[in-house]
Formats: sequence, C-alpha cells, structure tokens
Amino acid sequence: MTPQAEAHPGCSYCGLPLPRCWWSHDEQRDADQPAFCCVGCRIASSVTQSRGAEGQARWMLTRLGLAIFFTMNVMVFAMALWSRDIYLAGQETSELADTLWQLFRYLGLLFSLPVLLLLGVPIVENTWDTLRRGVLTTDLLILLGVAAAYVYSIVSIISGDGHVYFEVACMVLVMVTLGRWLEARGKLRASQALDALSRLLPQRVRVIRNGQPQLVDRAAVAVAEHVRVTAGERFAVDGRIVEGAAEIDQQLITGESETVARGPGDAVYSGTLNTDGDVVVQVTAAAGAETVSRLIELVQAAREAKGRYQRLADRVAQWFVPAVSLLAIVVTWLHTSQTGLEEGILAGLAVVLIACPCALGLATPLAVWTALGRAAQQQVLFGSGAALERLAAIQAVRFDKTGTLTTGQPVVDNLTVDDGEQADELLALAAGLASASTHSLAGAVSGYARAACHGLDVFAPSDVKSVAGRGVSGQCQQTGSRVWLGSEAYVRQAGLQISTGLQRAVQEAHTAGRSLVCIGWDGRVRGVFRFREQLRPEAASAIAACRKLELDAAVLTGDHDHRGAALAEQLQVPVSAELLPQQKLAAIDHAAGRLGPVAMVGDGLNDAPALAAAHVGIAMGCGADMTRDCADVCLLSNDLSRVAWSVKLARRCVHVIRQNLFWAFAYNAVGMALAASGRLNPIWAAAAMALSSFFVVSNSMRLAAEPDDSYLTDESAADRPAAAHGGTEYEPLENSLRDTKILEAPVA
Amino acid sequence: MIELPLVFVGGLLGSSHCIGMCGPLALVLGSNRQQPLANLGRQLVFSTGRIFTYAVLGAAAGFAGLWLRSQPTALVNIQAALAILAGLVLIALGLATAGWLPWGRLKVGVSSCFAATWLKTFLTAPDLMSVFLAGVFTGFIPCGLVYAFLAVAASTGSLWFGAATMAVFGLGTVPLMALTGCGGSLLSLVTRTRVLRVAALCVVATGLVSIARGAGYLDLLGPTAAGCLMCQ
Repeated sequence: MTPQAEAHPGCSYCGLPLPRCWWSHDEQRDADQPAFCCVGCRIASSVTQSRGAEGQARWMLTRLGLAIFFTMNVMVFAMALWSRDIYLAGQETSELADTLWQLFRYLGLLFSLPVLLLLGVPIVENTWDTLRRGVLTTDLLILLGVAAAYVYSIVSIISGDGHVYFEVACMVLVMVTLGRWLEARGKLRASQALDALSRLLPQRVRVIRNGQPQLVDRAAVAVAEHVRVTAGERFAVDGRIVEGAAEIDQQLITGESETVARGPGDAVYSGTLNTDGDVVVQVTAAAGAETVSRLIELVQAAREAKGRYQRLADRVAQWFVPAVSLLAIVVTWLHTSQTGLEEGILAGLAVVLIACPCALGLATPLAVWTALGRAAQQQVLFGSGAALERLAAIQAVRFDKTGTLTTGQPVVDNLTVDDGEQADELLALAAGLASASTHSLAGAVSGYARAACHGLDVFAPSDVKSVAGRGVSGQCQQTGSRVWLGSEAYVRQAGLQISTGLQRAVQEAHTAGRSLVCIGWDGRVRGVFRFREQLRPEAASAIAACRKLELDAAVLTGDHDHRGAALAEQLQVPVSAELLPQQKLAAIDHAAGRLGPVAMVGDGLNDAPALAAAHVGIAMGCGADMTRDCADVCLLSNDLSRVAWSVKLARRCVHVIRQNLFWAFAYNAVGMALAASGRLNPIWAAAAMALSSFFVVSNSMRLAAEPDDSYLTDESAADRPAAAHGGTEYEPLENSLRDTKILEAPVA
Repeated sequence: MIELPLVFVGGLLGSSHCIGMCGPLALVLGSNRQQPLANLGRQLVFSTGRIFTYAVLGAAAGFAGLWLRSQPTALVNIQAALAILAGLVLIALGLATAGWLPWGRLKVGVSSCFAATWLKTFLTAPDLMSVFLAGVFTGFIPCGLVYAFLAVAASTGSLWFGAATMAVFGLGTVPLMALTGCGGSLLSLVTRTRVLRVAALCVVATGLVSIARGAGYLDLLGPTAAGCLMCQ
C-alpha cells in the first residue's frame, strides 16, 4: 500500500473512504486488519486480491455460481408448489399429490441450505465487522429478514402446514450479493484512473551509493541522493539532472506530446519518460512527495471535499438507516397483526430491501470520482468535487490575455525594409545571424524568415559575435562586410544610421509598445522587424468551443487599448483593456451580476486575485508546480481547449448526479410505498435493488468515457503546428502570407 | 407432445445459428485440453449446464403460461396467443438466419462483455464443477432462438412440459456445440452454408407447427367458449 493510501484510510479493496460510524466520528479501526466498505468489496477482494492463490479466487466465484445454481433449483420447486395451487383450486387433493407436495417442500429446504451457507456467511462476517466499527447498515436488517423467512419456512415444514419461503431467502441472498459485487467493481473502476498513474512509476530505482549503482526500492531513496535513469525508463522521483542529457517525454504531466531536451541543471519530474539518454539525477523530491504522488494526493483530497449534492445525499443517508429500521418494524408489526406473521415478515423484508441505500449513497460520489479521475487523465485537476459542481453552473467565462491566450513567446509581426533593399536578401542574412543566438527574439526572426520564404538560402556568417540580450553580428560574404542584428541601441552603437522611412516604423513600434529588432550593414539600418505576442494556436477554437456551450466569453487584460482592439478583431471576442487588477475584479463582479456565475481563466501567478474572485478560477500553466491555492481548477497542460472540455465534463457529471439522485429517490419512494403496503414480493424487491445499483454504477461509468474531443475541430488542427518550440517552429502559412503583404509594400 | 421431436431437430439444426455466439465459448473450453476424450467430457458437462438452465427457464415459462391461463380475467386464449407468437418469432428468425428477409441478415445477440469476465474464470478452470457452472451461465446469454423456444415452452402451459421442451431443445444443440468445441470446423464452408439453410428451414417449420397448434386451440374454443367473457 502506498503512503498516501495509509494517510487516507479507506476500503482495502476499492480504496474509497469507509462508511463512518453514524453516532460518532471517531475512527475505530484496527490498522492491521483489512476493512471493507461493503460486502461486495469483501467478496471482490477475496476473488482478486490473491493473484498467487488462483484456487481461492476461483473458489469464491464458484461459491457465487453454485449459489445461483442451487437457487435455480429452489425456484423450480417453488414454482411446482405454486402450480399445485393453480391446478387444485377448488379440487380435492389426492394422496400422491400430497406426498409430492411434501417432497418438494423438503427439497426446497435441502437446496436452499447451501445458498444460506455460501452467501449468508460473507454477509454475516461483513455485518459483524461493521457493527464492531460502530456502523449500522441495512445488511443487518436484510439478514434478519432472510433469517426470519427461513425459520418460518422450517417451522411450516415441521408442522406440515403453511407456506414455505425458501425461494425468497435464496433469491434475496443472490440478488443482494450480485448487486454489491457490481457496486464494488464500479467503485474500483472509479479509482482506477489514479492507480494507473501510480503504477507507471518504477518500483525499483538505481541509486548511486559509494560510486556504485545499486537497485533499491523507490521509497528508500532520499533527497539529494543520485539516481541513474537510462533510456526507456520513467523517472521515479523529482530531481535535477547532474550528468548527461536526454529527450524527455513529459506527456503524463504536461500533456505536451513533443519531447523536450533536458541537460545538466534542468529539473525532471516523476512520471516523465526518458526516451533516449542516460542521465544521473539528484533527487529533489523523494517518493511520496514527488509530482505524480502529489497529483494523486490532490485528486484524493478533492474526493474528500464534498459538494452540495454529496452533502444532500449524506444528510438523507444519515437518517435513512434508523428511519428504515423503524419503518420495517412498524410494517412487520402492522401486517402481522392484520394478516399473520408470514405476511409481516415478507412486507418487512421487502421494505428493507427496497430501502437499501446503496443507490442513494453511490449516486454522487461514484459520478464525481469518475469525473475527477477522467479529468486527471486529461491533465485537468479539480480542487474538489464542489468545484466540479460550480463549474457546471457557470454562465460566463473571462480570459486573461498575457500568458493565457498568448504563449509569452514573441513572433515577428512584420518586417519593414528600407527603400531599395531586397526583402529576401534581408531575411536570408537575418536567418543566418539569428540562428547563432538563443534569444527568443532571434528564434522568432529565424522562424519568420524560414516561413516567409520557403526554400530560403540561408547565408552563413563567419566570425559571429553575440552580445547577450542585445544582438549578434557576423561577417557575411554576400555584403562583403559585417552585418548587425539586434536592438535599436545595439545597432546605433555599431554606428548604423536609421533612415527617416524606417524611423517612422521604429516610432510606431515604440508607441504600440512593441519590441523590435534592426538589421543593417555598411553604416545603415536596412530593415526593422516588429514583434507581437503569439496567440496560443488553440485560442480561437477554445473560445469558439466555449461559445458553443452558450457561455459568454470575453477577455480582461491590463494591456494597451489598441492591442486589446486587435485581439478583439482577431478572436472575434469582446476585450476590456487597460484594466487594473481591482478593475478586473469589478468586471468579474459585473459579469456575475449580469449573467450569472463566472469562471476566470488566467495564469496561476499573476491573476491570483481575479481567479479567487471568480466563482471558478481556472489556472493555466500550473505545470508540474501544482499548487491547490491558486485556483479551483488547474490545467496542467497549457492547453486552452481543456477549458471547454472541463465545462462539458462538469455539466455531464452534474447531469449524471441528478439522474442518479432522481432515480434513487423515485425508486425508493415508489418501492417503499409498494413494499410497506405489502404488495411487493421480496424477490422483486431484491431484483429491483440489484438493478438499481447496476443503473447507478453504469450511469456513472459513462463519465469515464467522456471523449477527448479537443483535437477534433478543424480549426485547432490547422493551427496546431504553429506552436513555438524553442523558436524553431514557424508561423502558420496563412499568417505568414498576411504578413508578407506588408513586407512587399516598403514604407515611403 | 407431438412437437418434441421437432423441437429437438430445431435445436439440432438451429444451433448452427448460435455457433457464432456460443462457439467461441466452446472453443475456449477445450483450448488447453490435448486429449480429445477429456475435451469431449468437458464439452458434455458444459452442455449439461446449459440444458439445466434451459430447463429451469422452460419450467418458469411453462409456469408463466399456466398462471396466465388460470387468470379468470383473460380475454384471449393465452395458450393460443403464445403458440402463435412463438411461431411467428421462429419463422422470422429462420428467415433472417437464412438471409431471406428483405432487410438482410438479422444480427441476434448482445455484447457479452459483462458475462465474459465471469465466464472466462469458469471456462478456463480445470475442474468440471466450474465447467458446469460456465454452462449454467451460458444458458442465460441472450439469444433469439432460446427466446423463441421459450415462447413455445410457455404455450405448453405446464411446468414440466415447459421444462421438457427446453431440455429437448438444449439436447438438440449438444452435437454441434460439442463438435465445434472438439474439432473446430470439421465441416467445409459449403457444407456449413447448406446446413445453415436446412437449419433455417427447420426453424421455420417449427414455427409453422406452433402456429398451427395455436390456431387449433382457437378453433376448439369456437362453438363452446364457455370461459370467455366476451362470448357469454
């Protein structure tokens, strides 16, 4: 068992919280003993737990199978007894028929005994266990009812008169066990998404101790120790590379499908995959505290925090068992006094079976847990089930601009060339020089040059000199002189003059607050690159997806007004610009008053106040440094399309919860009325109970299959290749074409 | 029961219709058994389990028929209606199996994914008890042919005749299922197609007999329908 699981004591099979004692909140649990939340988990556990002991596993399932076989026999004998009533209605009985009748009654007793032993014993064990923990369940009442039906039937046989109810006892046991088994499997599947994550981490780690690598258990690795990870292995802990380099697949944590290059000094996270290198890592967070464990812990903590629906179900369930017990006693007493003991027992048993709170208790948590697990698989982390419910209710969504709609990586907006210069030549020179620099603007220039002129013949400079943060220069054969590429100050310092035509472009860029890079040689600046922030490739489609969900989408930014206007035109979305932080809060309040609950999407660091003020704060770029405090929802991947996806998932989850609750309440109300009036045979009540559990489980499991449709829209698919990775990618074709139009019209 | 032999033949030849669904189960059953005799034993135990379930279901259907017939408020002759209904279903099923229906081949059967995990545990177990239980549960797998014959069983209006009908139907399915489990496909594709056609015809014939019997019940009612509320 993992350390986290020990921190949250739960069912030994499905790992979900154990039912609490309903009159006290003290955990009375022997830590060494396995504890189960229901009899289904107990059986399922004994079937699956012992992978080594195959025989025992088979025996448990065989037990259920045998019970069903015997029950089928009992049913046939029961039908034979019933058909006698139909045949002989109003007729005299013969001696042979009487003997046969007695024989069938004894056969019923004989065949129902094994069922009682096979299925009754685990339920008795479970009831005894829960009683010792101070939890009263309806299992106890069901057992009482079954025992009563059985004892009554035996008395009937011995006295030679009265009905027998072996088929009732058997069917109830079979159906109850089947229903619980189904629930246990459903609950396990709700937790499986997380188990899949933790199972990815390697159990054994190669630690370098005294200069020698040795295999130790993951949990035995301490912070600051050195761990060797070879190609094809996943990192078991968080750390910093001290030796070697590798391409690392971080998809599990960031959702990013491209691998990233990591070398000495770079941080690596647990769960990520070393695809090709051989690296030594110094541990910064050991097992249990590293990224995947924190992720699992956060989702587990989110499960504990109960939403509105869960609290409602809990409040009802709290009074359910005592109320049902009381009702069952009253019904039994009423029917006994009116029509006799057998009717009383049957009506009481039917009430208990129908009122079994499984459907009610599972209606919310199963749906929420499944949705939380599904979201975690898609790198969306909900702070709590309540956040999921709130997200489902939002009417409007507000985006921050910088770092949210934009990547933070600049791209070239346009190139203004001086009179008489060839744009192609400039681009070829710029590309050659830019590739010698690692600055993000150089990367943008290089990418722009390649995209604008396909098949560009890059001029390779020699004697390249680079001044960090300012520019780069190199000797070029084509110009026969030194070419300078860099900031305005850098080229001026190099003695280059800016013509009046270009000066206007420089001025415009300054007024608009844009960065620029100049290129020139032989004492003159020949061209000016102007930059802009790069929209995330999926920004437009993400906003469109939000609109499709009938959400009011808008952008709140502190940026210049004219840039806001440009953004509004580009994304076709209202933009409020030049907002101070407190004005952002006011804008959110205003939207909330006008439209209803608002979700704010921002980056976790700068927009913390706005995220906190909105009904649901959705933080982008939590990446590997997830913190719960920043927002209700964390998008681990920087993928905006997850916003609409999360809203869709949340809405479907709440829809499923409502369906489940409606079903549970309606079924209980109708069934209870029928059962209390004595019109429901316990067999049908038991079957309805199993069916009801099946409905709730399978309805909730639909959430696990919520499709990942974020990549399906054409727009986002077309935009996707434009993502900037270390400045080596290029702009989408249509964008570069749009920009080259400006390029072809030199400023006068 | 005049049609019990026909039910047997219906099961015998109709089972080729079910090989698609239940054949893989029989194959899994014998997959790791090298000796043909041991495999045959397992196949027979498996079929016994199936027949047991069919018989229980048949008894339940027969009881349901009996109960319906005994209801004083019944406006129609239930037995006749059931027989005719069963006949119609059988004819439709037979025609669909042979591909003679205008809308093409009818796909009968549902996803058995839920049953699969259970059944696999039993099917691969070495002991015969598990194999028997596998048969018992296989009998519950939804199947159009089984339902059609259950309607026939219900129309008998008797617990025991209902059970007998379904048991005989189950017996009829044994040879082909055992053959599939033991030897895979011994029959050539052409032969199988022919057998399928004959089987379909046989199912249709069973349906026709059932309808005729139902019509017979109605006819008997004709002049002396004392129990019918409408005729009083």
